[in-house]
Amino acid sequence: MADTVAQSTMNQRAGMSLRTRRILTHAGIFALLLLAWEIGSRTGLLDPLFYPRPTDILASFWRVYVTQGNIWFHLYASLGLVLAGFVAGSIMGIGLGALVGFNPLVRRFIKPYVIVLEATPRIAVAPLLIAALGFGAQSKIAIIMLVCFFAPFINTLSGVVNVNEEKLELFKSLGASKMQTLRKLVLPEAVPVIMAGERLALTAALSGVLVAEFIQRDQGIGSLILTYTRNLNMASAFACIFTLTIIGFLIFRFMEWLDHRIAFWNHEDGLNRNAQKRQARWSKKLATA
Amino acid sequence: MEQQAIIEANDPGTAVVAGSNVGKTFANGTVVALDNAEFTIPKGKFVSLVGPSGCGKSTLLRLIAGLIAPTSGHLHVHGTQVAGPRQDVAMMFQRATLLEWRTAIENVLLPTEIAGNVEDADRERAMELLHLVGLGDFAFSFPAQLSGGMQQRVALARLLQTGADVILLDEPFGALDEFTRERLNVELLRIVAEVGATTVFVTHNIAEAIFLADEVYVMTPRPGRIAKVIDVPLERPRELAIQTSPEFNHLVDEARDVLGAH
Ligand SMILES: Nc1ncnc2c1ncn2[C@@H]1O[C@H](COP(=O)(O)OP(=O)(O)OP(=O)(O)O)[C@@H](O)[C@H]1O
Ligand SMILES: [Mg+2]
Repeated sequence: MADTVAQSTMNQRAGMSLRTRRILTHAGIFALLLLAWEIGSRTGLLDPLFYPRPTDILASFWRVYVTQGNIWFHLYASLGLVLAGFVAGSIMGIGLGALVGFNPLVRRFIKPYVIVLEATPRIAVAPLLIAALGFGAQSKIAIIMLVCFFAPFINTLSGVVNVNEEKLELFKSLGASKMQTLRKLVLPEAVPVIMAGERLALTAALSGVLVAEFIQRDQGIGSLILTYTRNLNMASAFACIFTLTIIGFLIFRFMEWLDHRIAFWNHEDGLNRNAQKRQARWSKKLATA
Repeated sequence: MEQQAIIEANDPGTAVVAGSNVGKTFANGTVVALDNAEFTIPKGKFVSLVGPSGCGKSTLLRLIAGLIAPTSGHLHVHGTQVAGPRQDVAMMFQRATLLEWRTAIENVLLPTEIAGNVEDADRERAMELLHLVGLGDFAFSFPAQLSGGMQQRVALARLLQTGADVILLDEPFGALDEFTRERLNVELLRIVAEVGATTVFVTHNIAEAIFLADEVYVMTPRPGRIAKVIDVPLERPRELAIQTSPEFNHLVDEARDVLGAH
């Protein structure tokens, strides 16, 4: 017993140093890569026109964010659209998914269309949307909605349909009404799947806004990238692209954080946090009585 | 309390669950899940249903619970015909089927929430029941933080929270390891005696069936039938050690004969 405890702390210590060593290795490899890139484009091995030097990209970052500061306007424009399209698309997806899921009749009639929609690349419809809705924010939002809609829709639908049979039977044996079964069982049980759908949707929204701005090149980070590449200002284009990388990463971390809050019962930290909270709430309830 | 239950049970006027000519077929009558079942279960008695897979054990339980309707015959609980799920009958399944987003105590309170408003008395009762099943210290743990055996204890407390006095258990500890199962069986006997419930317990295990029951219904498949009712006159409270006694083994042989002959 004592042996295993000693061993596990030893492993932990070894693990920690392993971790730092790993981080150092990664940083080292990354630095080497940048160095190779820098040398490559200085010696002409990489065409500096298409592969600007890392130092140039760094300078462009400084320029677009600070001295010129022109990226902010486009960034706000794009992120505003992402947010609007994502919220609208996922509300529609979750709402329709629930509606279709709860109603077997609707499900039967809607299923063929879902299959057709699923097989069609959504982006292909983008030009049609612009033709129909005209230039401007609304057609861009419509494109983002379209790419955001599907994952929450399918996930909500399957979450609502695939409720654990035994739990349904339990609710039935307790004499639960339809509404009670829905509120206390079906919806909570679907939450983790719906969250997974939302994660996909938000990532899709980021690609969606770029496509919309590539087609409709008035403002936004997508049109900025186009402008820079057309002017052969690749360093600035890369600054935009890496900005998107960072945003994509932040979105990923944010959704992960949200998942730990909302579908807390699938995560150890969420369980511990909520167990304490509920105990406190319980004590208060009995104390005030 | 236990004495009283036995005295009442011997009174023929207190049949709590009664079936006459109960049949259930599936797939347009091609699968006879249960054929012509006749039985009466007196108040406070513990009945085990034992038999091979597909002999209609779960079907009989679900019929009593009102989850499915019989294709023939009649079922009565407390003298009224079973026409659907009811307050005085509660059921527990092989898997704990706890709601993962609720703490143990919140899971126990679910039946009360569904029946109406949760009062402080209900909360106190739920806490008492968690103590009764030995989980007083785990009231605010989530199912994922509990072992399989503890989860089944929570499910048992939830079952008792319904206030039902007919409790139906479908292989409740079947997914647990043997040590945990034996311990929980002993505790189950203590608990049902304490609340004075009439119990129907489904199992695949002959020894388990006999150890727990006052009467064992030995069932055989195709068509599902109650082939024999074995009376278990072993005294209570029972200890695990009785399983090595000659009387006990005689009962095991008796059940085996029915199943083997089939
Ligand atoms: N909903 C259903 N539809 C069709 N057939 C069913 C249904 N439920 C049960 N059956 C059939 O009825 C028979 C009895 O099933 P039941 O589940 O009662 O058996 P069991 O004794 O509980 O078996 P096990 O020990 O495997 O749980 C089986 O042949 C089964 O296939
Ligand atoms: Mg069964």
